[in-house]
Amino acid sequence: MRQFFGIFGNLSEVTVGSSKPLAGLLLEILPPLPAFLEEYEQLLAMITACGIFVGVVPLIPLVLVLAERKVSAFIQDRTGPMRVGPWGILQTLADGVKLLFKEDLIPPYGDRVLFRLAPYIIVCFSLAAFVAIPFGAIDLGDERYVFIVSNLNIGIFYILAVSSVIVIGIIMAGWASNSKWSLLGSLRSAAQMVSYEIPVGLSILSVIMVVQTLNMQGIVDQQDGGLHSWLIFRTPFSFIAFFVFFISAIAEVNRTPFDLPEAESELVAGFHTEYSGMRFALFFIAEYANMFAVCAIAVTLFLGGWQGVLPGIDILGGLPGFVFKTLFLVFVMMWIRWTLPRLRVDQLMNLCWKYLIPVSFFNILGVGIWMLIFGADTMDMKSLGPSLVVIVIAVFILLKQVFKGVSGTKRETTPVPSS
Amino acid sequence: MATEESKFIEVQPFSDEMVLSMGPQHPSTHGVLKLELRLDGEIVREAIPHIGYLHRCFEKHAENLSYPQIIPFTDRMDYISAMNQNWGFCLAVEKMMAADEKFSGVPERAEYLRVLVGELNRIASHLLSFGTYGMDIGAFTPFLYAFRDREEILLLFEEICGARLTYNYIRIGGVSRDMPPNWLDHVKNFIDYFEPKVDEYNTLLTENKIFIARTVKVAVLDEDMAINYGITGPNLRGAGKKWDLRKDEPYSIYDRFDFDVPIGHDIPRIGAVLGDCWNRYKVRMDEMKESVRIIRQILNQKIPEGPIMAQYKAVRPPAGEIFDRSEAPRGELGFYIVSDGSVKPVRLKAKSPCFTALSALQELSKGLMVADIIAIIGSIDIVMGEIDR
Amino acid sequence: MVGYISNIYVGVYTVLVGMVITFKQMFKPRVTHQYPYQYEFERKDNYREIPIGNRGQLHNRVEDCIVCNKCAQICPVDCIYIDSRKPSGGRGAKLWESMNVVHLKDRKQIIGIVEGDTKKIEPDTEITINQTVPTGQTRKVSSNDVDRIVERKKVTFYMDRFDIDMALCMYCGLCTEVCPTECLTMVDTLQGIEYSEFDRANLNYSFVKPELYK
Repeated sequence: MRQFFGIFGNLSEVTVGSSKPLAGLLLEILPPLPAFLEEYEQLLAMITACGIFVGVVPLIPLVLVLAERKVSAFIQDRTGPMRVGPWGILQTLADGVKLLFKEDLIPPYGDRVLFRLAPYIIVCFSLAAFVAIPFGAIDLGDERYVFIVSNLNIGIFYILAVSSVIVIGIIMAGWASNSKWSLLGSLRSAAQMVSYEIPVGLSILSVIMVVQTLNMQGIVDQQDGGLHSWLIFRTPFSFIAFFVFFISAIAEVNRTPFDLPEAESELVAGFHTEYSGMRFALFFIAEYANMFAVCAIAVTLFLGGWQGVLPGIDILGGLPGFVFKTLFLVFVMMWIRWTLPRLRVDQLMNLCWKYLIPVSFFNILGVGIWMLIFGADTMDMKSLGPSLVVIVIAVFILLKQVFKGVSGTKRETTPVPSS
Repeated sequence: MATEESKFIEVQPFSDEMVLSMGPQHPSTHGVLKLELRLDGEIVREAIPHIGYLHRCFEKHAENLSYPQIIPFTDRMDYISAMNQNWGFCLAVEKMMAADEKFSGVPERAEYLRVLVGELNRIASHLLSFGTYGMDIGAFTPFLYAFRDREEILLLFEEICGARLTYNYIRIGGVSRDMPPNWLDHVKNFIDYFEPKVDEYNTLLTENKIFIARTVKVAVLDEDMAINYGITGPNLRGAGKKWDLRKDEPYSIYDRFDFDVPIGHDIPRIGAVLGDCWNRYKVRMDEMKESVRIIRQILNQKIPEGPIMAQYKAVRPPAGEIFDRSEAPRGELGFYIVSDGSVKPVRLKAKSPCFTALSALQELSKGLMVADIIAIIGSIDIVMGEIDR
Repeated sequence: MVGYISNIYVGVYTVLVGMVITFKQMFKPRVTHQYPYQYEFERKDNYREIPIGNRGQLHNRVEDCIVCNKCAQICPVDCIYIDSRKPSGGRGAKLWESMNVVHLKDRKQIIGIVEGDTKKIEPDTEITINQTVPTGQTRKVSSNDVDRIVERKKVTFYMDRFDIDMALCMYCGLCTEVCPTECLTMVDTLQGIEYSEFDRANLNYSFVKPELYK
């Protein structure tokens, strides 16, 4: 027994630099176990850490569902849900109770096993991506403990791999529903998700070239100098890589403008048309959990993870800072959803293969050349200075054009005389 | 070696078409329209519209009603622009009654009020078509914005005639109620509030690259095809032909106002082609501005005082038949009335502009994708109440 | 190549412009009125939220109705059902006895024959009403509670039935326009729009008041 569990090694002591994962924190702060469990303390700490995550993380989609309804209402001049609880806070609870009481229909001629299995696969693998994301850190004594369940050495690679399994779940859902609409939706979704994995991977690659490690905690550790050390500002090409990653992430999660698989106007509800009750709720939870996960990855890779704006974890750092940054990105995703129309399937594929992938390759090339010219250490002022200057100038020019376009009226219509 | 022509039969291999029914209940067909789509993967081989789910026997019913009683039923044909439907019907009946010497013409004040509410309703109708088109393409927000502005117009109508959707306001020989004391100020407030909004909606939706990519060069309805099908209104103007009944055959007092007729253009900057979905949609946005212009001219002139209803003994048009048409927001609305001198018509037929527009759908949609079908239906702006009557 | 890059630029630019517009909208006040909990709301010039003249449900003030049948004839959907009869006495009897309706200030009505002068109401006096038909009693009310007294003298027809089927009514307002005494009106307050019932038979409103005739 002991040798078997010994395979897991000293899970609480896998560190990079000086940080220890969550299991280590639990071993530190919780009272010591009784003697006969002493040899399993690593394993139990690990299980408890996983348990905490499994308990807390699915609560995030509940908050996000309400947030989406309120944000969309504010954009559209409405008030959103206001009846249940003060300002509608308990709306998700009411939705959950309603979905629990619905009739559980299984299409008679579909594939029953696959129909039942599909939501579970999607939810499991959406939540599995949270295992390797560092959520925050605290200093206890002279050790730093990081809120990460498992500090894998191949962290980001594992996350990419796990997100790709979701495609299988979607195809299973569409096929087992025995409906032409669902099948169309699920096949479109599969094509879309598989294609957009490539720009995601390539833009992550251009970040990895700078930090030269796949370990998530290591990536965050390298951004601990303050605002200017965030990976997004290291080279101008990393800046572009962030936006490529963000757009591809929106496509991965099947949100507008890429939500053709579940487009309400066309396919009623796409691959989850035939699901009702709690199974449908699982799809919803998976979608919002996935959204949170890709935003968390974007924050970790580009926006400094749980590092603060100033060196140290004081301002906008630690767990609150991380959650704030991720929720901000989630808000931007919702904002984009309620502004833009939907892309057609061939335009979606066009965007991916003809625009995002060449730009990602260009980014990788650019980062490589930049590091060649300005030296491999991108934190050095010789390299960071020109990069910041280029980024600031480009953003300034773009924003000036945008604000001029918002208020200017250079239209081609006939001008209306004011008399 | 066989001496017959061939022992083997040539079989052309073809993949089975999938028949998909975009059934009567669908979130984005405007009303109850069933489209039978024959698909080859994503490409549409044929799209056959099946109508009649909203047929209410309006024309047969009208044979049992007297002329003033028919007016509430014309409201329910194209319920979104009900004032223009009332007006079209009243124009036809008044033209028939002009031969009756007891019928004094429609008074001036009534004509001004008719034009005012007709143009306001045109704005409301185009707002709704803009909002629902955005929603079909996937942008949910312009729909809410359009309805917020439409709400203001409906409040204006509620003050003047008491109802929000089925007005029964324009009667044979005039209008039914005079306007309340501050109504013109409310109209002016609304026009001042609304005019910059059209520019905002253009910036939000019309110039959006994704929207442009969905609608340019899709389903090009060129001028010849439109005329052959009998399509009129913004659909024809989007194809480049400058034809508007308010300018070319003016009825009522439209010849006193100065306004342009917007048509579609070839715009290489965004790739728009004459007669595609984008141009038809853009014509509607421009028409809203022209309606605002007309309303401003009315507000600057003084509406003459006087009666709002013509003098006549009874609505008994002399025997005969007439076909008269007017410019509804969706095209030319025509009424063909056969009368035999009694209070009830012998036969009433309404020519609906959306019916002819929908008939072009079958030819327009060959070779396009399923997502494009939605874009086409939204751009030709159909209302099933008018198609089925 | 230039087209490629300008494509990217135009795409990004228009998306950002759209996003700025929706963002600015988030900080403007909402236009939702939460209806059952919020009856009065401010408008720009403080006019009524349900304008005067709104076409709500029909209401017939039967003490003014002369049962001329014009509303039933003009109704396009035939939702008004009127049964009338000539009162006994035939053409010779010119004056039929009919009742006065005393409208009180708390919107109640007392139907009976008022003794004394019905045209002028003196304050602080007592008014005697003979309610012969419904209760057979005499009631006295203070004239401060009285809003108005309606006289009904020459009545052409007696009303046996005046039913309006609200489920059929299409709210066109034609019947209100032809009514000569303006007894048939459309209620333009909240009562005119809030009248849903659970059973459709309850929507058949019966306006006849038999105690108006002796």
